[in-house]
Amino acid sequence: MISARFPRSFDALDQIFEFTRRFYDAEGVPDEDRLVLDFCLEEIFTNCVKYNRGNPQEIELELDRSDDRVQARLTDFDVEPYDVTRAPQVDISLPLDQREPGGLGLQLIRRLVDELTYDYTNRQSRITVTKNVG
Amino acid sequence: MFEIRLGDKGEVVCEGRLDASQAAKAQVFLDALAAPDVVDMAKLEYISSAGLGVLLRTQKRLLQTGGGLRLVNASRHIRDIFRYSGFDRIFQIDDGT
Repeated sequence: MISARFPRSFDALDQIFEFTRRFYDAEGVPDEDRLVLDFCLEEIFTNCVKYNRGNPQEIELELDRSDDRVQARLTDFDVEPYDVTRAPQVDISLPLDQREPGGLGLQLIRRLVDELTYDYTNRQSRITVTKNVG
Repeated sequence: MFEIRLGDKGEVVCEGRLDASQAAKAQVFLDALAAPDVVDMAKLEYISSAGLGVLLRTQKRLLQTGGGLRLVNASRHIRDIFRYSGFDRIFQIDDGT
């Protein structure tokens, strides 16, 4: 398992993707699974940035591989609870004039990964995605 | 790395990774075009919901003038993202032929 903390900024995405790339290379994670995992991490991380802007704490990312499963966990410190597994669904059948940007990220995560879990303890939010790989 | 530019035939060419840190750059570029049409995604490796938002906002703008984006040469992964987002209902998506 490896972990690192990243500043609460969209500009940290480059650092995060460099961190995940090194992990994927070391663990031989297939390209298609890398894109899915990066997508999930970006969606969760940017939600942490958007909804807790004034929080000075960095956000922790942990990556682990066990057999054919990769687990990625983001921990946000000193935050209010928000259960991402219960986020409202976007109606993707709406016509263009009724569609609005936003809200798709968590919905897509649920579609793309094998497991999404949320845990909130001591003002720490832990969101974990698990993906079966290659 | 993300680049967006006009190609030889006037198409919008996207390359690299369109993530939340690059979405504003893409939006500014598309907003400056009166009637963008084809978006070539052959070299677009990755798109997140921030990138989807850029495309959606542009499509809604073009709806007012009867235009619309045609998204071509997207990878299988990106086409999956489009399908799961319902974008296959509101964009023309094809292989570029």
